Amino acid sequence: MQKQQQLDQLVRSVAESGEKLNGAERRHFLKNGLALLGGAGLVSAASGVAAQAMPPGIPSWTKSLGSAVNTNPYGMPSPHEAGLQRRTVEWLTADKIASVSFTPLADLKGIITPSGVVFERYHAGLPDVDPNQHRLMIHGMVDRPLIFSMEDLMRFPSVSMIRFLECPANGGMEWRAAQMDRLQFSHGMLSCCEWTGVLLSTLLQECGVQKGAKWILAEGSDGSHMSRSIPMEKAMDDALIVYAQNGEALRPEQGYPVRLINPGWEGNTCVKWLRRLEIGDQPWYHREETSKYTDLLPSGKAREFTFVQEANSVLTNPCPEKPLTKPGKLWVEGLAWSGRGRIKHVDVSFDGGVSWREARFTSVVEPRALTRFGVEWDWNGNPALLQSRAVDETGYVQPTYSQLRDARGSSSIYHKNAIHTWKLNSDGSVVNAQLA
Amino acid sequence: MPNLHNYLITFALGASILASPMVLAAQEGRFGYGSPASAEQIAGWDIDVRPDGQGLPPGEGSVEDGEELYEEKCALCHGSFGESVSGYPALAGGGGSLTDPRPKKTVGSYWRYTSTLWDYIHRAMPFTQPESLSDDEVYAITAYVLHLNDIVDYEFVLTRDNLTEVRLPNEDNFIPDQRPDTRNKRCMKRCKDPADVKVASEAAAYVPEGGPDALYSEVEAQEDGIVTTVTGNGVYERHCALCHADGIGGAPAIGDTSAWSARIEQGLDVLYRHAIEGYSGEDGIMPPKGGFVNLSDSEVGLAVDYIVEQSQ
Repeated sequence: MQKQQQLDQLVRSVAESGEKLNGAERRHFLKNGLALLGGAGLVSAASGVAAQAMPPGIPSWTKSLGSAVNTNPYGMPSPHEAGLQRRTVEWLTADKIASVSFTPLADLKGIITPSGVVFERYHAGLPDVDPNQHRLMIHGMVDRPLIFSMEDLMRFPSVSMIRFLECPANGGMEWRAAQMDRLQFSHGMLSCCEWTGVLLSTLLQECGVQKGAKWILAEGSDGSHMSRSIPMEKAMDDALIVYAQNGEALRPEQGYPVRLINPGWEGNTCVKWLRRLEIGDQPWYHREETSKYTDLLPSGKAREFTFVQEANSVLTNPCPEKPLTKPGKLWVEGLAWSGRGRIKHVDVSFDGGVSWREARFTSVVEPRALTRFGVEWDWNGNPALLQSRAVDETGYVQPTYSQLRDARGSSSIYHKNAIHTWKLNSDGSVVNAQLA
Repeated sequence: MPNLHNYLITFALGASILASPMVLAAQEGRFGYGSPASAEQIAGWDIDVRPDGQGLPPGEGSVEDGEELYEEKCALCHGSFGESVSGYPALAGGGGSLTDPRPKKTVGSYWRYTSTLWDYIHRAMPFTQPESLSDDEVYAITAYVLHLNDIVDYEFVLTRDNLTEVRLPNEDNFIPDQRPDTRNKRCMKRCKDPADVKVASEAAAYVPEGGPDALYSEVEAQEDGIVTTVTGNGVYERHCALCHADGIGGAPAIGDTSAWSARIEQGLDVLYRHAIEGYSGEDGIMPPKGGFVNLSDSEVGLAVDYIVEQSQ
């Protein structure tokens, strides 16, 4: 009798400790913890704990006071959500300074990426920039070369827009074959935020662009002095000098205190920790636009200044991180985006592309923004091949892998936007796969 | 019609305000924010160089001078011959490989302009000390990297005046963006024969975090054009060789079969554990991961494999 009580006590403490962990960790912890105790009395004890909180029981948090206001002056996600994290692939880069981390797409809802989990890409690490000393200089082919403080920039009329941001190498590890084991790594160099700042065209007007000016060099103040040549047309269209993200100052990882956003274009053109814009009559052909971020073709020729991120989509549920637990009705959903404008249609296939069903948009549909789509599906428990296919407002249809490889081979690294396949096994597990 | 308030302000401040930059800006439809950038301020930040030579400062550097600087400041990551160490970019070789299944993109095989090399070394290198090189040093290291690619001979001296004349072999192989270059159609029914639906490749199954961190052998990856090969040799050279090359501090030297035989007999698992978690023995102390705690367990494991292989 006493032994049974001790066992119950132990099981309860194991279960309660487990509550502090996230889902997968908790399951793992519980399984191991319970296994240590042997099989006896487990079912009754474990269900006893659950019965305390769930109906008809009353959970402890319902019968006590909570913590005071402003316990967390800057609120954080529930500790139960600790699994929502950027993650890295160790073998991808030579070090962790010039490297990349990935957005946890599987656990995000809607279209806005929370600022804390937007993927990172640094070429010389994350600098700690003092906003009071940071300056943005505009010079070159202008009538009035000017230096702006952050205060100066915030005095201009501000503009906010929801736009996706994607590294052109997103999915680049998949060109030759399915490689990454989960959604976070196959598509996670992707995010979507509300960006607030002043239109670059407003600043250029202030400086007075001279006749014959066609290109702008954007340069960062980090150790890499990241630099890209931007055509004047983009600057006069929708390029934004951004100081705020999702309603607050830019996060350091995203270029605090000020960065460039070229909506729909390669993420690396959106230079972070922006310190300088030089106006000129031709591009600079710097390292990040010749040696890197050019697309090598089978002929040995390479395309340069391939700015646009073409239409793309991926299913976020199910996916490897979100396996199915049982057959029956379920909500299949995902994200679609296009650097050329709005998403027009998204179609979903469950048979490897033999037949398709049009999905429904469940978010606002903004140009050059992530768009959330979904479709109801009745899974009969058989293996299936799940795909999504985006069509944008220009009529461009997301290509298959074979179409993409026919056009570009498999060594171009960047701009891989092929229709993605999740192989659903009968046990509900989901694996990244490519079709012949 | 001007009200009394405006009238009084105009009267009080008179002509002085009319001449201020703010008012001038307003008259021209501008905001008048920001401060004028002086020539001296611009010069401090204006570091960019173009293919036509715009932006190059006066200066010069010889291949010979560059060789010494390169060995001191660059070879640790890029290799003495520009061959790449530990996954950092290769600078030389790869000529004619661009049409191969695994192209090797280097300054000699892929880069378009010499100015890009000068600009990049000046703006971002050495990796740990950007903007630390003098202009002459940048000319010299640029000259040496050109020499590693057989583009200039050993007697060459690179100057502001001759830099734009040094052409790289791949200059003419860049073309404009041609996209959209695919023509998929929005088919909805019977889009292909179900018999043709075949899985060509599958990634590894997802293992939730905390699962087995399997030691991998040799992984080749690509991201942003960095073709990274993680090898035990690379990890060893960069991290372990400091002590294990010569047996410093009681560390058994690589290749010393008598020092290693008893250790190897304990089995790889023990060696992995000692290398990862650290170990104190009679001969000395092995710190966890040799002090490079940023290394993954897998990388340490690869290095152990390499040392064992070399010491049997």
